[in-house]
Amino acid sequence: MSETSRRRFIGVTGAGAAAVSATALVPGSAFASQTHRRSDSATSPVVAYVSDVDSDEVTLMVDEREVVVHDRDLVHRLLNAARG
Amino acid sequence: MSSHREAPEISKDPVADNTDVYAFVSPRRPDTVTLIANFIPLQKPDGGPNFYEFGDDVLYEIHVSNRGDARADVTYQFRFTTKVLHADTFLYNTGPLTSIDDPNWNRPQFYSVTRVARGKAPQRLATNLACPPVNVGTRSTPHYGAVFTPAAVHPIQGSRTVFAGQRGDAFYVDLGSVFDLGALRPFQNLHLIPLPSAAGVNGLQGLNVHTIAIQVPISDVSRNGDLPSDPMKASSVIGVWATASRQKALMWEDAQGRYTGHGPFGQVSRLGNPLFNEVITPMADKDRWNTVFPQNDAQFAKYVAHPELARLLPVLYPGVFPHLAAYKKDRADLLAILLTGIPAGVVPGFQNYTGPTQADLLRLNLAVRPTAHPNPIGLIAGDPAGFPNGRRLVDNVVAIELRAVAGATIPLVDHSFTPDAAAALLQDGTTNTNLAVLPTFPYMPNPAGGFQSKPGTPAA
Repeated sequence: MSETSRRRFIGVTGAGAAAVSATALVPGSAFASQTHRRSDSATSPVVAYVSDVDSDEVTLMVDEREVVVHDRDLVHRLLNAARG
Repeated sequence: MSSHREAPEISKDPVADNTDVYAFVSPRRPDTVTLIANFIPLQKPDGGPNFYEFGDDVLYEIHVSNRGDARADVTYQFRFTTKVLHADTFLYNTGPLTSIDDPNWNRPQFYSVTRVARGKAPQRLATNLACPPVNVGTRSTPHYGAVFTPAAVHPIQGSRTVFAGQRGDAFYVDLGSVFDLGALRPFQNLHLIPLPSAAGVNGLQGLNVHTIAIQVPISDVSRNGDLPSDPMKASSVIGVWATASRQKALMWEDAQGRYTGHGPFGQVSRLGNPLFNEVITPMADKDRWNTVFPQNDAQFAKYVAHPELARLLPVLYPGVFPHLAAYKKDRADLLAILLTGIPAGVVPGFQNYTGPTQADLLRLNLAVRPTAHPNPIGLIAGDPAGFPNGRRLVDNVVAIELRAVAGATIPLVDHSFTPDAAAALLQDGTTNTNLAVLPTFPYMPNPAGGFQSKPGTPAA
């Protein structure tokens, strides 16, 4: 994964985490990151989906698109965060 | 039937459930073709206070393939938007509706039409087109057929015409008997569990659906952008199917009390030939079949080559179908009718072959002119303007497909086979007791009214 797509992907994930927090309080440390939103980051709600917890794949659904990202670290962080 | 609630998943999602597809050269405008896709099955006319409507969150599409590879060359997309005009009432209408834009209609629905040509940018053909209200009853929607049907027929750019709204179902079938161990009431004295023979009962009588209909110049969908005149040319044939799609992720929004969609649209329903997913595809594959694109249908050809219904008929009607029971070859007749089209040389002067790609498409030879005297048994009765050359509202596809599955069409491709005598007689015994088909677009009957219609008679 290029650094550009990695940053974009992490930024989008932050939006997904905000949606999750409505039903489960997620410790801030789970998403501790120094990333910042880029000017071209998603502006609509995002749904993140990990269909295979043993894979490195996250599917992000936004507007009428889906973005498939391969990042094992992000998968692990989402799985850890999902424990609440 | 023909695809009402035909698969487990889509039966839970009636707003997206495609019930029937029709495609025919328009009888009074033979330079045009009419494409009809129906959704939302088995509507009781009095089903208020929240009456039936299209889904704002569903992408409805009618597809046309004209190059022989079963991929969409032209797609017409329909998207709906519903408004609530009066926030302080539970009523669908707050008084009589006398026009399609009557302010007493509390929940009007509008739609857009987009044409997508393969490899080209989508072209928005129209926006903010009004649907008609449902037929609530004599007080709420008086003179429905005269007032609302014509008002909901919209000419749009490119000499196209569209309609989207409630209609009476034009399909007729004996649902109660067919799904009771494959009984056909006229022949049920011969059934494995016999009962005295009887006339069929139209299970769809008095029920409504929601129709999307579009009439376009034939040149809008033909391969060469022309008006084909030679039935024997490959370019005269199109394949038609319809789909409904939903966004992949649905989130329940507590604050709004509804779902919101996220992500791309995924196909949840499709329909080409009537009854394909209904009686050809095994239950375990039905849901997946609904998600597959037609160009990938070869995986289902085994179910056509050896259809379960052809094995059941000799069991359910002992001694009636000995020739069918003994026939063990692949059903080349059904493979052609349902998956490739009928090649030249099988029916004199006719073909609707779209090439070797096996795909469930409703194939229509655009060069075959409409007839003023259609035979509901269609092509196999000598009327090449009828099913399986496209499908008209009058075509009795239940009888046609029953006879085909029972072996009546095997001799078209295998002259060594003699059909059982019963094959040519099969029918479910229903007559068309639905409201009358209209002589002009959108052709589908006016919807049954909630006040005027009476419920069926229960028995146990």
